[in-house]
Order: sequence, then C-alpha cells, then structure tokens
Amino acid sequence: MLSAILAIGGLGFVAGVGLAAASKIFYVYVDPLIVAVEEALPGANCGGCGFPGCSGAAEAIATGKAPPTICVGGGPATHAKVASILGIEIKEVEPEIARPGCYYGPQEADLKYIYDGLNDCRAAMLLGGGAKECPVGCLGLGSCVKACPFGALSMGEDGLPRVNASLCTGCGTCERVCPKHIITLTSNSRRVTQEYTLDQCSAPCQRTCPAGIDIPAYIDAAGRGDYLEAVRIIKEKNPFPLVCGRICVHPCENECRRNLLDEPVAINPIKRFVADFEMKSGSRIPIEKAPPTGKRIAVIGGGAEGLTAAFFLARLGHEPTVYEGKPHLGGLLRTIIPDSRLPKDVLDWEIQGILETGVTAHTNTKLGRDVAIGDLLQEGYDAVFVATGGWDSQMSEGLPTEPYQMLPGVHLLVHLSFAHMAGKAPQLAGDAMIVGCGNASIDAAHLLKTLGAQHVHVVFRGSRQESPFTDEELQAAEAQGITFHFRSAITRMFGRAGDLTHVEVASLEKYVPGQTLQQLHEQAALQHIPVQTLVTGAGRFPELIYAPVYEQRGEGDQQELVRTDHWETVVPYAGPFAEEDVGIFRPGEATTDYKAVVEAIGAGRRGAASVHKRLMGEEVAAPPGMIRRSTRVLTVDTLEPLSPQPREKMPALSPVEQMANPEAEVELGFSEEQVRREAQRCLRCGLICYRRPLQEPESLAKSA
Amino acid sequence: MHEYWLLIVGAVFVNNIILARYLGNCPFFGVSNRMDTATGMAMAVVFVITLASCITWLVEKYVLAPFGLEYLETIAFILVIASLVQLVEMFLQKSVPALYRALGIYLPLITTNCAVLGVAVLCVEEDFNFIKTLVFAFASAVGYGMALIMLTGIRERILVAPVPKHLQGLPVGLISGGLLALAFLGFLGMV
Repeated sequence: MLSAILAIGGLGFVAGVGLAAASKIFYVYVDPLIVAVEEALPGANCGGCGFPGCSGAAEAIATGKAPPTICVGGGPATHAKVASILGIEIKEVEPEIARPGCYYGPQEADLKYIYDGLNDCRAAMLLGGGAKECPVGCLGLGSCVKACPFGALSMGEDGLPRVNASLCTGCGTCERVCPKHIITLTSNSRRVTQEYTLDQCSAPCQRTCPAGIDIPAYIDAAGRGDYLEAVRIIKEKNPFPLVCGRICVHPCENECRRNLLDEPVAINPIKRFVADFEMKSGSRIPIEKAPPTGKRIAVIGGGAEGLTAAFFLARLGHEPTVYEGKPHLGGLLRTIIPDSRLPKDVLDWEIQGILETGVTAHTNTKLGRDVAIGDLLQEGYDAVFVATGGWDSQMSEGLPTEPYQMLPGVHLLVHLSFAHMAGKAPQLAGDAMIVGCGNASIDAAHLLKTLGAQHVHVVFRGSRQESPFTDEELQAAEAQGITFHFRSAITRMFGRAGDLTHVEVASLEKYVPGQTLQQLHEQAALQHIPVQTLVTGAGRFPELIYAPVYEQRGEGDQQELVRTDHWETVVPYAGPFAEEDVGIFRPGEATTDYKAVVEAIGAGRRGAASVHKRLMGEEVAAPPGMIRRSTRVLTVDTLEPLSPQPREKMPALSPVEQMANPEAEVELGFSEEQVRREAQRCLRCGLICYRRPLQEPESLAKSA
Repeated sequence: MHEYWLLIVGAVFVNNIILARYLGNCPFFGVSNRMDTATGMAMAVVFVITLASCITWLVEKYVLAPFGLEYLETIAFILVIASLVQLVEMFLQKSVPALYRALGIYLPLITTNCAVLGVAVLCVEEDFNFIKTLVFAFASAVGYGMALIMLTGIRERILVAPVPKHLQGLPVGLISGGLLALAFLGFLGMV
C-alpha cells in the first residue's frame, strides 16, 4: 500500500517538477496580442484574407503586416473588436457580396452532352469545359455552395446558385472555387467601374449601350413592378435616366434580339417610365456610396459628361467639385435640346439629384478665365478631370478673338489661327508640337514659327508613306527645323504649375492594340520631348486627368512621398467603342464619344473610373478582356419559333396639338400596363441563351 | 532479424492497431476528412506512440515491477504519457519550431488516446525487451497512420460522390472504415 502511494506519488512529483522546470527551460514568448486577436477572429479559416487560416491572419494583424480590416469573413463587428484590441482606429471597408452571373440553369440552356460524373463543377470542367454550349455558363453542380464557409449559398430549383445576402460576408471563397469565374464579388465600387468582359454573360443590348447599363436586369425589375430597383440598376451606370429616357438614341434597341422576330423591346420608354416613377414619387432612391476617401477632385465642365464623372466620383467615395463656365449646369442638355423633348424642370430635378449625391458645383467659373489647372492643383485637389465638352465651348459661345488659355500650353489650331488673323495671337517661346492637324500640319508649323516657336515637332499616327505630304515637302520642312514623328502618339504631358514642360511621345512601330503604357515603356518605345506649346487640330479638347507628381524624399525609414508643384496628365482608358486606345488626341475619339448624351455619360463614367484607379495607385487601363468593337462575341442569329407580340406604341401629342402648344412635351410616356406588357416581351438574353417558349406537356411526353 | 520482420508485418498489417484491435477510433473518423490533416495526425501518432511506449516500458521495468505494482500500470502510464507529451510539446516549440508547427494541434490531441495507451500496455503484456518495444511501437503507429491515410483517401472521393442524404458524412465514413477493416481481415494468419 505504502509503496504504491510512494511510487505513484513519486512519479507524479517527478513529472510535475519536470514539467515546471521544462516550462522555464523551454519558455517561448508568444505575443499575447496574437492570441487575443486570434480569439476575436471568426475561426472559419476561409482564407479570404490571403493568410493561412485565422492564426496566420492574427499574427499578421498583431505584427502590423495587415490592417485590422483584413478579415472579410467577420465583417465590421470583427474589425471593430480587433481594432479595439490593438487600440487603433479602423478605416471603413466597403461591403462586398457574391453575385452569380448566369441566368439559365442546365435544364434550360443548350447542352453539348449529358454529364454524369463527379458531382463537382471542377471535375465537369475537365470534360471539354463543361456540358453547356455557353463557355461562361454555370455548370450547376454547386461547387460554390459546398465551398461557402458561411452557408450563404444554396442551389435553386433552376440549377443556379442563390445568395443569401444576410449571410454572405464577401470572403470570395466561391469566386476562387468556381472554375468558370461566374460567381464574383461585387461592391458598389466594382459595379460602377465595371466593363463587360469576354468571361461573363452579357446581352447584345447591354454590350451596345455606350453607358453600359445592365438592361436585361432593369427590364426584369420593371416587369416585376419593382420600379425603384430598376432605377437603382440604371443609376449604377447612368445618373441621367430621366434625360436618357427622353432623348437617348438607344443603340441598344438596334441590337435587340427581338429584331430577328418582330420589333425590338421598347428599352428606352421603360427606362423613362421607371425614372418618371421615381420623380413622381417625390423622393429619391438612396444612392450607395463607398466609404469616404478624403480625396478632392475638380471636374471642369458641368455638362452631361462632367456631372456624370462627378456623380460616380462621389459614389466612389471622393469629393468632387464641378466648375462650370455658364450660369447653369447641364451643358448642351440645357442649351440645345428643346423643351418639347426635354422639359427644363425634369432636367433640373435630375441635376439636383446628382448634386445631392455629394457633388459641389461652382457656376460662372470658367477655366482659363476664373480658374486655372495649375492653381487648382496648388489649392490641394488630388486630380483635375477635364470634361469641357462635345463642342469647343468657346466656339459655341461666339468666338472670342482672344481665346482663354484652358489647358496649360495646349491650343486648338482653329483658335490660334483666328487670333492670328485678328492680330491678337499670343507670343510663343520655346519648342512647340503639333498633333492631329493632317494636311495643315506644315502650314501650322510655319504659323508657330511666326509666333516665335523655336523648334516644331509634328506627330503623325500614320507612317511617312501614309502622310499627306510628298517626300520633297517633308524634306523641305525638315530643313526648316521641323521634326516629324511618324507612327507615334502623344501619351502624356508633363508640366509645372501653369506651364507645359515636356511631352511623352510613344512610337507605335511595335504597338499591339490593347497594350498599356507600362508595356510600351518596357519596349523602350517612349521618349520625352521638351515642349512648351502643344497645338491640336481637333475642334475640342480631349478629356484628360491632371494629377500632381509625388516625389520620394528622405532616406531609409524616413522616406516619404512629398507632393510637388509638378503635374502629369493621365488619359482615361478608352471605352469599348474607341477605334484606338493609346494616347491623347486619339483618332475618332471626337466623333465616337459625343454623338449622343449617352456616349458622354459613358465617357464621364470611364473618366471617373480612371481618376479612381489613378488615386488608388492602380494602372489606368481598361479591364483585361473588355469587349471592344473588334471583339467577336458568341451570339445567336436565329431564334426558335416564338409568337410575335407587337411593340407598345409611345403615346404622343398629335401634330395639331403640337402646333397648338409647341412648348409641351411631345412624348407622353408609357402607362404602367404598357410597361408590364413590354417587359414581358424581353427575352432576357445571355450570350446564347434567351427566354424560350415553354415546352408543351405533349412535346415533353414525345421526347421522353 | 526474421523475428523483427514478423513483428513489423504483424503490427502494420495483421494486427493493425485500428483495423484489427479497434483502438483510437475517435481520431480515425475525426480527422479523416482532409488529407493534410490526416498526414499531420499520422506523423504525430508515430512520434508519440514510439516515444510513449519506450518510456512506459522503462517505468514498468524499473519503477512498477520491482515493487510488484503492475496493477497500477494503467494509471501510471496515463500519468507518464500525459506529462511526456506536454514536455515534448514544450521542447519542440523551443528547439524544433518547424516540427512543432507541422505536428501542430495534433500533438496535445492524442495525449490520452487509447491507441497510445494500448500500444504501451501491449508491449508490457507481450513481455517485449526494449528493442522489440521500440520496433513494435513504431510499426503499430505506422499501421495506424497508414489506415488513417487510406480512409481519408476513400472519404475524399466519397465527398464528391452521390451519397444518399441520410448516409452523408460520418455514417458513410463508418461503413467505409468497416469495409477497410474487412479487407484487412485477409491478412489474418499471415504471421
């Protein structure tokens, strides 16, 4: 008995003392912060943060390698808890949510074969990219549903995943698992800066829309009677639904697949109805905005493009200020569109809505007369976006013989010529460059020499052979000190305060469409030419972003970025319809982007997206795989038999009534019943899917 | 030498600690869902069983047997194994952090696992000498790891197969484990 007690007691004693000693000898310091942070994290190990599990994330957060907001799974509550443990302030992050991007399940879509294998999309993908004809179609085997660590996804009866928005944390696990990249994270910022790409489902109408509105989605919402949701969808791409609903040239309707059968869906009248519905309701739908970034941006021009850019900059969390030379905002919408097509009170209501999103506007403040770009940057703006308009505004105001110097060092040839004829042209100093003057290039160079320019560079997009001049003419010009740059484009301008100092010219010899500035730089195709004056043959200024240049100062750990009074220009990325996508003064840009208000709206949104990318330190370029005019997209050219259903007619004033009251609005807008009927006509197209007639029970029986 | 080969084959295949003796079922089904956790567990098991069996053999031989206290074997072994694993964990964390991270959470998990205690008790009951204990414990642990990894492979494939709803998860895992044990029955009589 005693020996037993002694033996076990002795063993226990030795073990206890041994462990106590070992805990001293083998003591390892574990930062209590790491432990505390790990306890605050959800412990789902979803990997949404990019670290190996929650313990990896906790270590990174506690050691300051990652912000407390890195946990996407936990959301704001976790961020607050983690931040309070660390005793720091958190920066709000924008909520993200998963959104499936396929609308027809395997039962409804065209199939290549019947898949009967492993119940996993990634396995099905190995067999010729899945059973669906459509290369971006959801395979419907629910890999995303199984992968979701938060149980936010489920499989609907149609074979497509459904997102439970209240459970989705935006961790992105589904996005990483989906072999087709169909289910993706979306946030307000992602949606408003999005372009349609080849690896997503898009309908012909939305690809054609210059603003890029998700047309099938808003027609679907209108058909369900959810008119305000339709307005919300439209306003993710277009802040002017009332204006566009009335005067849009609706290229979307030309591409509507119903043209193959009868008449296009009345896309635009439906937009007008839902926008009018919002206006008549007397209140505005809330506009989703990203958390404030504290960046201030000056937008030059209060027309459709400038207001659109300001609206989307506000939605992206920035603080835009619009400078408009005229007493009223609205630009050409106000000055040249008649009241019978666009009543002024409608325009005012729409502009008021844009201002309420967080846009400040200064009217009667003209660039070149009341403000200058150099001064605005000096004042502390983080960027200046120039959207001066489809027409050169100074021309439409009645040409002044002494044009205002709007952009630093940049002149329109037409202004310079008129001013010269009136004997009021400015005296030039230093070197000059000419771009886009075509046949007038050499004469323009002579004019610049007369005005005092030392040396003149002429930039041509085409080759020497393609230029409008003979070899003798070119040689004579070269002898007079004119340098020609063939197959070249101007990609950037650099300056200091109010002066242009030099220009970056890219050689396009090895250029492949779609290449970015960075890639041109790697090809050593860029050269900087000191130039103080730049003359363009275009009738208007291109839209440009002026941004301050930051300089790295100090050494080692003391390094910091210091803002200088130097600036550079950034060209907004070219939209899907641009003919060429490199450089300022692109050929065709003046004719493709400004035929219609919807094109200016598209350019304004892309301008805002470009400013946003620049401010966030991303490269300003179109998303990879963006569908361009030259891109071939999978589509269908015949429809299965569908019963024709005539398009609803827009109620309008008769010619007699129009004559009696020329101010009254001609088109009256659809009634609610018309909108419901018209929305039923929409085929809800995808790349190759569309709403087909329901199969009759008989034919099902036959095929079985 | 022949004797040791028989010992190894016997411990790994014929009298597999889990498939023939049914020890350590909890981690066998608990961590056989994913291959990386299963291999981590297998490594930890090999490490702990080998070490624990050797120490308990020494305790039996030099502490319990001299005083005729063999009846206290179970409680003494649990005590020794538990403190041993703690000690090893501290040692590894300090000296071999890489191994510590690799074994991770599995080390403390198997502190009082019945497979660990079972092998220790078996060694004593069979009256093995120290070398035989070492070989037998290592081979048993390898057999455990092998069975665990085999079941994990099966369960990973079952995960993507159409299984009736009421059998999904653990039930089908138990069935697979049972079938695996039946298959190992074929080794019976080899040694």
